[in-house]
Amino acid sequence: MSVRISEYATRSREAIRDRPEVRTAVTGATVAFDEKRRRAYGEVDADSWRRWAEGVKNHLLTHLDDYLAEAEAQLEANGADVHWARDADEARQIVLALAARHSARSVVKGKSMLTEEVELNPALERAGIEVYETDLGEYILQLLDEPPSHIVGPAIHKTLEQVQHLFADRLETDPGGDPDELARAARDVLRDAFINADMGITGGNFLVAETGTVALIENEGNIRLTTSLPRVHVALVGIEKLLPRMSDLAGFLQLTARAATGQPIGCFVSLVQGPASAPGDDGPEEVHVVLVDNGRTDVLLHEHAWEALRCVRCGACLNTCPVYRQTGGHAYGWVYSGPIGSVLDPGLLGLHEAMPLPFASSLCGACFDACPVRIPIPELLLSWREEAQQKGLTPWKERAALAGLATAATRPPLYRAAARIGTRLGATRAARKLPMLSDWSNDRDLPRPSPHTFRQLWRQGIK
Amino acid sequence: MSGSATRDRPESRGDLGGARARILARVTRATATRGKLPHPGRLETPPAPDPATPPAPTTTFVKRFTSQCGEVATPDPDRSPRDWLTSFINGLGDEVNAIAIGADVPARLQPHPPDMPPADAGTAGGESPGQSRHAPAVAGPRNSPQPLHHAVPPEHAGVGISLAWGAVAETGSLILPSTGTRAVQLLPPVHIIWVPAGRVFARLEDALLELRAELPAGVGLHSGPSKSADIGQTVVTGVHGPGRCIAVLES
Ligand code: SF4
Repeated sequence: MSVRISEYATRSREAIRDRPEVRTAVTGATVAFDEKRRRAYGEVDADSWRRWAEGVKNHLLTHLDDYLAEAEAQLEANGADVHWARDADEARQIVLALAARHSARSVVKGKSMLTEEVELNPALERAGIEVYETDLGEYILQLLDEPPSHIVGPAIHKTLEQVQHLFADRLETDPGGDPDELARAARDVLRDAFINADMGITGGNFLVAETGTVALIENEGNIRLTTSLPRVHVALVGIEKLLPRMSDLAGFLQLTARAATGQPIGCFVSLVQGPASAPGDDGPEEVHVVLVDNGRTDVLLHEHAWEALRCVRCGACLNTCPVYRQTGGHAYGWVYSGPIGSVLDPGLLGLHEAMPLPFASSLCGACFDACPVRIPIPELLLSWREEAQQKGLTPWKERAALAGLATAATRPPLYRAAARIGTRLGATRAARKLPMLSDWSNDRDLPRPSPHTFRQLWRQGIK
Repeated sequence: MSGSATRDRPESRGDLGGARARILARVTRATATRGKLPHPGRLETPPAPDPATPPAPTTTFVKRFTSQCGEVATPDPDRSPRDWLTSFINGLGDEVNAIAIGADVPARLQPHPPDMPPADAGTAGGESPGQSRHAPAVAGPRNSPQPLHHAVPPEHAGVGISLAWGAVAETGSLILPSTGTRAVQLLPPVHIIWVPAGRVFARLEDALLELRAELPAGVGLHSGPSKSADIGQTVVTGVHGPGRCIAVLES
């Protein structure tokens, strides 16, 4: 996925103005995710779970060299091959070489943000390899040639009508087909793909150093199939995805699922140790794990930003973010969007490349409250802003416009007032003006004193 | 922890132009700049709402598993598991025309082949289930509407039968080792899983720690049927994996 972050102001404005259906779909989905997350946090002692998870990841990140070496040794003892990639280009080369060695013509993929980050699919396609995204949402986006807009629900910006239209056109389904029929049509195509694929490619939610276990969480079963049916399985794993021990995995599997979708655990979890060896195991003959840096050591070396490496990519901060809910993920211009994107992208890409994302927030604090590993996103945003100011990276005007967007999104009374005016003035014109009203930007950089109060207000506002 | 001994070893097979050494050197440099933070120890789960009388793991398992759309069946204690399972599968309906059986399911937990009567004695059928890749044993229920083909691959079976290594109460999960046939666990639309008696763990951590000692190449945790909400935020089941996931608790 190419980087289009610098167009954030324009693209967020366009998203709000020209694609109201995106806002409706994204707001609907994220509000639902967020409510499920709250309920699931309420069922456990979420506070101590989150502190524990923060502690485990901090321990991991301050001993990462040792754990990387341990994970590698374990994986190799299990019969898996370990590869190291400094950047996107090396990651692509490693996978392409494996594909060539196995004369792979067809590849099935499980959802992986890292493979988006390193732009793997276009490289495979250029090599003449057929690539099937097998997560239903990713498959929809592949047909549309669109990047994912959310870490967990890649196609949440799409409505049923849009999918009906797409599938009628491409899979010859009934134009009024219900979600069951549509899913069945996709399943039929992908079932053949699974059975005929030469290689399965996935990411990895966790890599347990103690046992050399790549753990993958999902709900559809497509990752189980991707890691089980093809002869070769390749997992691309960011170096920050490690966990020290198996007992840590037990906690992280549960906390991540609760944060992401409010489930006690994903419907399916795959634990991959290595290639099939026991009689009766029909799994892959080869398992390759590619450990990818691609900017992560830069983040680890950064005085403040390293804390963002605790991220488990649950999407909870996106779901709860009033700014993300307005635009969806595409406006942010890169793989990682929403609050985590705004603090991680500057670290992974360099602050210059990621401008103006640190300013795309009202610092309301909701993301921190949701985050299962307690990444202090508002603080990190402030420290990126400070760094940007020191480096003279951002013109005042753009910052004011972004602050206007963020403030409008997080202040329901103003939002409702503007919406009321909008009814009088004509919806289009109001929508165009809404986020950019200059007089709303006066208090743009002040943290909201009471996030809880405003979030209650916000929830009332969208009912 | 294997630690720095392995960290300093010569370049490994999967190393592209010294990538390994360079990444590790940068990581070491970063970790040297901040203090080593301690591991916080174990996470206590689940926080029992009423610690005085925690419910039996099996009760919690049934509650959690069914709340995730999984189904639970209890065999008739007066019949042999084979007889019970054969009738149970017959009761699933006409679409069940072939059954795929995981490589590690013992004969006593397999349904009767199509032309064999459901009698307890003399039907041991001790032949080992299929061992070849994606070609496990296939049997058919009695009174099957269509003649059954042996060696039908799991993608053509209506039902897959597996043996769980264990189950987890707090998450409502079945633990399926890859020593069973993965294709049987994943491809048929209905998945029936035997859970041996006494193998329901209260906590996921306890199960994983015991499993650690005998960890197979692959493990699947299945907590209900395949689900997706990717189309219009509407939940559909059976997208890629089984649409029905039925746990059978041996008593
Ligand atoms: S920053 Fe926290 S809430 Fe956001 S995706 Fe990462 S782990 Fe989840």
